[in-house]
Amino acid sequence: MSTVTVFLRSSLIALGSMIFLNGCSSPSDENNIPAETPEAKPAPSLYIVQIEQMKFLPADITVHSGDTIMWVNNDIVAHDITEEKNKSWSSSLLQPGKSWKLVPKSSADYYCSIHAVMKGSFEVK
Amino acid sequence: MKRINIFTATVFALGICAFMPSTKSFAQSSTKLTDPEIASVAVVANQNDIGFATIAKKKSTNKDILQFAQTMATDHQSVIDQATALVKKLGVTPKDNAVSKKLLSDAGNTKKMLSSKSGDAFNKAYIDNEVSYHKAVIDEVGNVLIPDATNKDLKDLLQKVLPILKTHLEHAEMLQKKFNQ
Repeated sequence: MSTVTVFLRSSLIALGSMIFLNGCSSPSDENNIPAETPEAKPAPSLYIVQIEQMKFLPADITVHSGDTIMWVNNDIVAHDITEEKNKSWSSSLLQPGKSWKLVPKSSADYYCSIHAVMKGSFEVK
Repeated sequence: MKRINIFTATVFALGICAFMPSTKSFAQSSTKLTDPEIASVAVVANQNDIGFATIAKKKSTNKDILQFAQTMATDHQSVIDQATALVKKLGVTPKDNAVSKKLLSDAGNTKKMLSSKSGDAFNKAYIDNEVSYHKAVIDEVGNVLIPDATNKDLKDLLQKVLPILKTHLEHAEMLQKKFNQ
């Protein structure tokens, strides 16, 4: 192998490595500033509301559009989750040990229609 | 002299007992309840409220009362089912005792009283009784049954039942306010 060939091969490997490394980082990383990617939405999250001792825990949560809320009934009696103001949506009867999921489109106050004093809310941002 | 001392001591002891406030809602003695007796009290207390709910479902046409009565019937049956499964698992047979007998006897009188009423008078009497009954049962479960229970599973079940009773009380008080407006 000639000296010229070795030089060219080494240069290509070095250049390739630089391109690869550049693709993995952004200029802002160098200054410890978070990258600005307005078009990138965060991955949807799952929020869990435990139903325990006849309470929604946590009772009030904030989620983002596209997130999922899951209610888990840990009590020994059945509950439901019902939108409070207009009764616009409701889970089916949630037996002990069962769970129910919702991807909310808008903020809401909710309650258990079986035990009307059990209340909760979520805010969708 | 010895006879006098025994007599004096007995009178003194009775005097103290007469002025001691009762710390047990249904219990007539301070004897600690056994686990089979606690299971019996728990089952009877739940059965009583199902009995009141059955009368309400027959006599009332009020939507709030009917919904509340259905919740009482369903929830208290769930508790009985859990208690029954537990005593079966533990190989325990619920045992009648002074507390469960008193609960049963008082419930008989309440059922007679409720059956004699109708309309708004019934709704008010039913919800008033639900408030006072749940207060008494909460006191009994919290201050007698849970402290007296020795089996961990039984104690855990009673501790799970307590917030259910408190939620029922809060719900009943909410309806009571409506009927008293």
